[in-house]
Amino acid sequence: MTEKSILIIDDDQPLLVGLSVRLKSSGYKTSSAMDAVTAIAAAVKEPPDLIILDLGLPGGDGFVVLERLKMLATLATIPVIVLSARDAKESRQRALDGGAVAYFQKPPDNHEFLNAIRHALGESSNALATFLKS
Amino acid sequence: MNAEPRRPDGASSPESVGPADVGPLGGGPTGPGDGVALTAELRRELLDLDAWGGILTTYGGTMRVAVALTDAHGQVLGRCYNPQPVWTMVHDAVPDAAASCPFCMEGPTPCTAVADAFRTGGVVMSRDQAGLTHVAVPLLLKNQQLGAIIAGQVFDRFPDPLLLRRVARDAGISEHDLWMLARKQHPVSAATLKASGDLLYALGQAFLQQRYSMILEATLAETNRQFRLMVEGIRDYAVFTIDLAGCVTSWNGGAARMLGYAEAEIVGRNYSCMFTPEDIRNHLPEDQLHGALLAERGEVEGTRLRSDRQAFLARVNITLLPAQAGGDPRFALIMEDVTERRRTEAALEEVRQERLRSQNKFLSHVSHELRTPLTAIYFFTTNLLDGLLGEVTPEQSEHLRLAVSNVNQLKNMVSDLIDIAQVEEHKLSVEPKQVNVVRLIADVLQTCETNAAAKKISLQSEVALDVPMIWADPARLRQILINLIDNGIKFTPEGGSLTISSRPVAENDGCLCLSVRDTGVGISEENQGMVFDRLAQVRPDDEPSRSGLGLGLFIARELVTRQGGRIWVESELGRGSTFFFTIPIFSMARLCAHVLTAANLAHGHVTLIMVEVQVADGAASLGVLADIRGALERSIRTGPDLLLPPMGDADPFSPHFILACTGAVGGQRIAARIRRELQQLTVGATLTARISTTTLAVAPDDALPSQTPAVAGLIDRLVRVHTLSGETLQ
Repeated sequence: MTEKSILIIDDDQPLLVGLSVRLKSSGYKTSSAMDAVTAIAAAVKEPPDLIILDLGLPGGDGFVVLERLKMLATLATIPVIVLSARDAKESRQRALDGGAVAYFQKPPDNHEFLNAIRHALGESSNALATFLKS
Repeated sequence: MNAEPRRPDGASSPESVGPADVGPLGGGPTGPGDGVALTAELRRELLDLDAWGGILTTYGGTMRVAVALTDAHGQVLGRCYNPQPVWTMVHDAVPDAAASCPFCMEGPTPCTAVADAFRTGGVVMSRDQAGLTHVAVPLLLKNQQLGAIIAGQVFDRFPDPLLLRRVARDAGISEHDLWMLARKQHPVSAATLKASGDLLYALGQAFLQQRYSMILEATLAETNRQFRLMVEGIRDYAVFTIDLAGCVTSWNGGAARMLGYAEAEIVGRNYSCMFTPEDIRNHLPEDQLHGALLAERGEVEGTRLRSDRQAFLARVNITLLPAQAGGDPRFALIMEDVTERRRTEAALEEVRQERLRSQNKFLSHVSHELRTPLTAIYFFTTNLLDGLLGEVTPEQSEHLRLAVSNVNQLKNMVSDLIDIAQVEEHKLSVEPKQVNVVRLIADVLQTCETNAAAKKISLQSEVALDVPMIWADPARLRQILINLIDNGIKFTPEGGSLTISSRPVAENDGCLCLSVRDTGVGISEENQGMVFDRLAQVRPDDEPSRSGLGLGLFIARELVTRQGGRIWVESELGRGSTFFFTIPIFSMARLCAHVLTAANLAHGHVTLIMVEVQVADGAASLGVLADIRGALERSIRTGPDLLLPPMGDADPFSPHFILACTGAVGGQRIAARIRRELQQLTVGATLTARISTTTLAVAPDDALPSQTPAVAGLIDRLVRVHTLSGETLQ
């Protein structure tokens, strides 16, 4: 099975480094983009299996990126996990309504964050699924 | 002669003289019965010598005796009226005569005669060897001793020869001349003197009464005048009276100024002219009087109109005035124009809100700015700690663990900053669910372990494994516990311990009581009241412990209160503190109470519908979950049906339950409706739903309401079985 690829869209360089190390060690291939335009271009050029998206980005709000991703047929099915410093109460619902599969406020708990990624990539053993199959 | 004898020290005090039925001697503020206060000033005024002078001189002149007035202690006031030459001569010749009663040669004050008069309340006569005779008459007002009149004469019989000789020598005349002089005074007999004493008694009492009522009238008139002036002079309040029908009967200057009516034009008019037409249509003027009549007073605030129909905001105090003789009761109204004050208050509130908003915005910004670098630090340290960048030595590992723990602390502080703004704007969100406390506490302990270990503090839970499920927001409960534990760690010295305990049920109010006990420095009693205040941090000055924002307990209190519990602390300086808080126990009966009514149970059946939705792998998200619950909400009828809140506190994808009160096949209909709604749901993923129903028949008899707890209990068991079977698979 080939390595799943994750595109991290965030304008904070140290965060990109730190998160990439974590994801790589968990068996994912990572790429990154630091602004909205580059992010869309990168996703179109080489569609990843999952996108981690920050909301405060130069060149366009993260919500705009989310909207664009969902509008492009080739990218619409890619699960997006939002990872933002913004107040969860205000942004969570908007992100979920916009098609994100999960919302994490920075800093996330590694364990929960990786679980969500696995879940979104269909690698998890969801409790409900297990229960139903049993 | 000296008419003001000194009171010998240690003499029997006048207070001890009077028997109980005479009432207290001087100094007592009130007499029994009528509550009149005989103040020192009133006593002085009642015994005014100029007022008494006339009557005493006339009496003394008529009876040919000397007369003096004493106070309630038997001390002679001012002077002696009508002193005869012989009497003066004798009095001056006796050494120390001035020390006591002017009619006694020597003795205590009050003299025996006065003391006896006070004690018996009647006229007392006394004679001595010197031929000095006097009569003491008590003056009583409202059963209180006010004073006494003493009347006396000298040499009504041939005196002691030695005394006669001494007085004659001192006066420079012969004994014979002295005796003849005394005889010329035509002394009255003792019997006459005694009889005149009774007359003096009646005279004294009558005069005293007259004087008393005169003083009272003068005082009352003055009070009335002052009161009228005061009411008249009140400018900022309208003070007026109305009768039971609402017609104005009096009107002060403030009322004229505030409402614009002159006294002449408003008296006799109904006070409803001050109300708006709408209020009059709604019978407000009558209603307010009616209310005040029942409650004897009332306070209202509302719009009133001036004579030029200009509206203002008035606060009105209505008091029922008791009926005076021959009249009906009336109302006194005190009206204040609060337009300006309310406007200022509103403006102040607006400023306060604006300040809160900008503070919130600032805190939000700060929090956002702090979170980004914090995230990078978190990733770097956890990456190192987990060995993702190579092996670390045990010591390095320990240091990294501390770093992560500190990052988590910073994270909590940043969250606190946001919470604090929301507390002030009353926006702190709480979403209660059914929560398994034991699991949550185990999780919290794990989170706090590193922190505690760094200070060598042992952290343990004594929470019983069988505590009931509670009804709380798990994230907020976690926050409360972490805040309390962090606080405990902060104020507990190295090597101490922290214990989380549970009490079965606090005060039988359906709450679970949790506590966090530390072995720290403790909190003094005076500080215990303020530890939950914002920015409070009570700490000994010499303890350079780790600082915090001082917000933890404030937020904890807010979170506990918002979830229906309460929080308090018990502590002893130097021995540690225990923080207690209560949180409602989950109760299916309470949750279902508004659905399991007699009317709904009359349908004959209760159906529990379990809906398990499987979402295609990768598509399950909180958004999809919300869509599913929305579809379920649409499938049920509000009133007889209820979509139970999520039952598992960990897995949001646990089964959904619907409680429905239906006829025999009603449950199937709802199930079909749910299936249809779920099929129409477009969430961009395949949904597979499994719907099962359990129908219970309820007895259609009069005992329906009493079945509610039993039905709720059954529902509870069914839900629990399903939820737990899901949990065991995690």
